[in-house]
Amino acid sequence: MTGFMDLYSERDTFLHRLDPRVKLLAVVTISALAFILSEIWSLLLLLAFILLLMALTGSSFRKAFFALKFVIRFMVLITVLWPLFDRSGTPVLFSIGPLDITEPAVWRGATSAVRVGCFATVWYILMFTTSQRDLVRGLTKLGLRFDYGLALAISFRFIPTFGLTIESIKDAQRARALELDRGSLWRRSKNYVTVLVPTVVTALRTAHMLSLTLQSRAYGAVRERTYLREVRMGPRDYVAAAVALLVFLLPAVAMYHFGVQL
Amino acid sequence: MIPHPVPGGPESVLRLRNVKFTYESGIEALGGVNLSVDKGEYLAIVGGNGSGKTTLAKHMNGLLRPSSGDILVLGAPASSRTVAELARVVGYVFQNPDHQLFCGTVQEEVAFGPSNLGLGPTEVQARADHAIDIMGLSHVKGRSPLSLSLGLRRRVSIASVIAMRPQVLVLDEPTTGLDAGEASDLMSIVRLLNEEGSTIVLITHEMKLVAEHANRVVVMAGGRIVLDADARGAFSDPGLLRSSKLLPPPVTLLAHKLAPIGVSKDVLTPEELVFELTRGGVG
Repeated sequence: MTGFMDLYSERDTFLHRLDPRVKLLAVVTISALAFILSEIWSLLLLLAFILLLMALTGSSFRKAFFALKFVIRFMVLITVLWPLFDRSGTPVLFSIGPLDITEPAVWRGATSAVRVGCFATVWYILMFTTSQRDLVRGLTKLGLRFDYGLALAISFRFIPTFGLTIESIKDAQRARALELDRGSLWRRSKNYVTVLVPTVVTALRTAHMLSLTLQSRAYGAVRERTYLREVRMGPRDYVAAAVALLVFLLPAVAMYHFGVQL
Repeated sequence: MIPHPVPGGPESVLRLRNVKFTYESGIEALGGVNLSVDKGEYLAIVGGNGSGKTTLAKHMNGLLRPSSGDILVLGAPASSRTVAELARVVGYVFQNPDHQLFCGTVQEEVAFGPSNLGLGPTEVQARADHAIDIMGLSHVKGRSPLSLSLGLRRRVSIASVIAMRPQVLVLDEPTTGLDAGEASDLMSIVRLLNEEGSTIVLITHEMKLVAEHANRVVVMAGGRIVLDADARGAFSDPGLLRSSKLLPPPVTLLAHKLAPIGVSKDVLTPEELVFELTRGGVG
């Protein structure tokens, strides 16, 4: 699971330099666009645009493949399962026993799959180009309370640490001749109590220590704290924000005002 | 590599042959380790952080499996046996006791290991009581292990492993975070276990412990064994130790400084230094 936590890679691309708030805005407008588009061709075009952006993040092929693997699996699943449950429309392409697979349902399945692909992939662009710290800074700038932002940043930070702790705890119990994954479901769930209790205890001890270290570093001493890295919107960010809005508004106006089928 | 003075004979409880291990991240942690541990030995594995000590130790009970090379436990290949099966022979005490304690009482905690071995209730009870007794925990056996001090929690974690009566006991940095009194009490108990026939593998940074307890020292650097000798031999070459990010114990360093007045360089304990200084001819 830690693979998901280090999606970000330090690069110096145009997307990396953008203000995190602009990137969040773009994720929202592109997702909204994916939501309103109903023609598979327009959605495929949007997906191609998102993949182009992803190529511009300068992330390694390996990382992109790791990320897209999950999206593709999900898309295949939707395409295959949709026609099994949605049996409306004609013509019937073929029948599997009592199941009629209809052509419109196959198209609807594929369309939904591409839509979901757009939703998922656009988030990856944000994760590829924005460090967790910048993301949290962006959110606090948007009005999230700093302490909530800090809590969010700390939880991101500790996910891999806890992954390692849990591995170590599992090893410690296995060294006491416990076969964690053997026996009935009931037996196995009982075995995992031996992992759960030390994990919770370690988490509480860590949280307690962390609160002490935060306090000893003057956390909460003044109401208005300052930041090492100020996030500030530059001209480039305003242009990007405008583009992000237009990407949604132009098709939306075309569809709802002029009645264009997109 | 300096060959081990006593080559692994038929008595060896653990035997590693050209063991290599690479982590998923691509880091090679062990680059071909050959090691044979005889029954009843008190072996210390020392080395800087990241030298591969813990990785090596985790191969001894199957927690890690070698990328290549093979491991024999009591003469039989470890590769075909699970960690649980190997745990009967090789007990492994983790550095952080909080990573294993989960029971309501010390008694239950110590009985957990033996009951995993499928022993009858009387035998489990007997082994748990014996382990609690050896580790000096009788006065706290009804208490929650989590409410105890770190020194006592560590003893509980050791008791819970020795209750399985393994022939080999691997201890990963057992004295970290303990005060001098707790550490010395703990080490006396470990010595007692060794005298009763247990083979001890001690992973540590503290050269004083090594000098006072171990009868064989394996120095690791960069995933390889760079020295395998008795404690005196190991500390006689401070240059090699320094290149492995280690220092001999202060008393040995002092003896090295006093060498010009005729003090022997292979002093390991304060008592030995006093003996050196008070015997005729020196001083």
